[in-house]
Amino acid sequence: MKRICLLIVTGALIVSGCGGSSSTSSPATTSSASSGGHVNITLWHGYTDVEGTAIKALTKQFNATHPNITVTPQFYGNSDYALQKVLAAIAGGKPPDISYLYGSWAANIATNPTTVNLAPYIQKDPSWNWNDFWLAARNVTTVKGKIIGVPALIDNLALVYNKKLFAQAGIPLPTPNWTWTDFENAALKLTDPSKKQFGWAYVNDASEDTVWRFWAMLWQAGGSILSPDGKQAAFDSAAGLKAMTLLQTLAKHNAIYLDDGSDVYPGVFNSGHIGMLWTGPWDLSQITGHQPYGVTILPADKNHQTISGPDNWVVFNNGSARVNAAVTFLKWFTSPAIDLEWATMTGDLPLRASVSKLPGYNAFVQKYPGIGEWAANLANATQSRPVTTTYPKISTVVGQAVQSVLLGKADPQQALSQAAQQVNGILSAPS
Amino acid sequence: MTARAEVTRGVDYRRPSLWQRIIASEHLAGWAFVAPAVILIAVFALIPIGWSLLLSFQANNLLAPGHYIGLANYRALSKDPQFRAAIGHTIVYTVIFVPVSVLAALGLAVALNRKLRGIRFYRLAVFIPLVTSTVATGIVFLWLLDPTFGLVNYALHALGLPQQGFLQDPNQALYCIVVMTVWGWLGFDVIVYLAALQGIPQDLLEASEIDGASKWATFRSVVLPLLGPATLFLVVWSTINALQLFDEIYVTTHGGPLGATTVIVYYLYQQAFQFFNAGYGAAIAYVLFVGILIITLFQLWVGRKRVYYVS
Repeated sequence: MKRICLLIVTGALIVSGCGGSSSTSSPATTSSASSGGHVNITLWHGYTDVEGTAIKALTKQFNATHPNITVTPQFYGNSDYALQKVLAAIAGGKPPDISYLYGSWAANIATNPTTVNLAPYIQKDPSWNWNDFWLAARNVTTVKGKIIGVPALIDNLALVYNKKLFAQAGIPLPTPNWTWTDFENAALKLTDPSKKQFGWAYVNDASEDTVWRFWAMLWQAGGSILSPDGKQAAFDSAAGLKAMTLLQTLAKHNAIYLDDGSDVYPGVFNSGHIGMLWTGPWDLSQITGHQPYGVTILPADKNHQTISGPDNWVVFNNGSARVNAAVTFLKWFTSPAIDLEWATMTGDLPLRASVSKLPGYNAFVQKYPGIGEWAANLANATQSRPVTTTYPKISTVVGQAVQSVLLGKADPQQALSQAAQQVNGILSAPS
Repeated sequence: MTARAEVTRGVDYRRPSLWQRIIASEHLAGWAFVAPAVILIAVFALIPIGWSLLLSFQANNLLAPGHYIGLANYRALSKDPQFRAAIGHTIVYTVIFVPVSVLAALGLAVALNRKLRGIRFYRLAVFIPLVTSTVATGIVFLWLLDPTFGLVNYALHALGLPQQGFLQDPNQALYCIVVMTVWGWLGFDVIVYLAALQGIPQDLLEASEIDGASKWATFRSVVLPLLGPATLFLVVWSTINALQLFDEIYVTTHGGPLGATTVIVYYLYQQAFQFFNAGYGAAIAYVLFVGILIITLFQLWVGRKRVYYVS
């Protein structure tokens, strides 16, 4: 009898479950079928906290000023898993109109027929002022001549240093004119194994977090990731060797705190055990209020280049009326004035170069000490990672190469040659 | 009406129609009762299993429409050195994990199968890791085993022993995962053994005591054989779980360092969800499925010859 009851309960749950899902999907169907000129669109995002509040406030502001369009922001959970959810929605025939998606997915998302190519919209309308977006962000939206998204976030790596540890070691603070030699010497002097103190920190989980820091070093030494035609690995060069050798030297002297990828280094920095970090504005809120810190651009070998990991707003095709509404919203949302409003609310970097000329910019820089250096550093983000479907594989190979040098399991030249050979194999394989 | 029906039934030897038989059959009622579960399993298990078989014959990134490429995924898999390495890591892990966890559980269950003060507390202590989420377990172990600031290295230092890299050392990481998963899963095995121990008829134990058997002889000749079914179940179940190890790796080492903990399912995840090779990932899943099937059938075959069921 107990079992029968259970079955009935299960049955009831299924029925109610189905009922629930069909009732939630019905507003979407009515919205797409709306006539009368009013368009409802959905925007998927993973914002929480201040950003969550900001996206609600700004969409509300947009809806109030655009009577023909209603944008509904919907929270999809952690952005790391957004792709699976968007894929499921596409397969189910009801993709969101706009979704926040990582830049590293761009090349693969471009292969989906539902993804809208925004190039015609942007070329048709010069008031987009497209080239005002930072180059690094534009690069990640562009796949084989298509524009598959609008910049949603931009960041970059800058040098963050603990002023107290520099004073204790008796070395002058980093300047924007620092060279690799200055950096190396400082890192070694800041290292003291007896106090568990490290000159620098490096994310050593062989993920993209390991790899992009290496790319910044490679570019600073004048190297490049792939050959200009994109068909060959180019990082196995004098520049690559120089970058790997710097990593090897510092690792050998225990000057690098090796983070296992679970985001330990900010805490270690806050406890005064790390002298310098290469990190982005996302760590700013975590490190504020613990150690006296300063921010400056990365040290130079040949130049001071940095790397940026931008993300995109991607538009999916739910009919031309909704695509047009989505484009209208994104143009408004990323316009200089609104972008500055967003930056001031959240502490994210402005997406456009011209934002720094707006009257409200000083208030933004003063609200987040150090953010001005990161914002200015965007001018040093002049190169981007290749936007190709094979990049995730290339990243895995190079991640292992960097890790093998950091762990002392391979010497720099050996690691580079082996990685280059594997990357060439990936690039020549038919996809 | 009833009388007449009875009469006609008495003379009418025509078989009832199919529909009538279906309606009258007990099967229908049975199926109706299990339908909710069957539908759930079909939608969330059987259909995906069938679909992923099709997927394994395709080049598919789940984003654009895929196309069929026959057995190419399987052919590539047979020549993939990384897949071979992943199989190696999985086997090493399984060969250590299964005996260690089953034997440790047996010892603990025997120790806990006594009337002791605070026995509930001890049982709870063994069981708690099982109900703790894998993510929490993973993070706790990352902290404990941190090479620079972890508690374990601190203890080693205090004892004058050399510092270890643990999860950050390619030669140690997989063994650290074994320790972590044994700790995390032990509670389940202990519960199964405890239940089996308490199911052993008291008269058998008394009989062996009267016959003058020592405690060890009783354990070896009476208790252990009677635990056979539970042992077989645990070995089969633990092996299947070990071969499908994923969560703990995903939370702690991400398959590293230097690929040292890339087990089969983690490699599958990398291929399908990081490299967008969903077809290749599905092929890996099917190879693993066939492997598990063969191993399980072998274990059950051995078990049939060695395990005695007493009721």
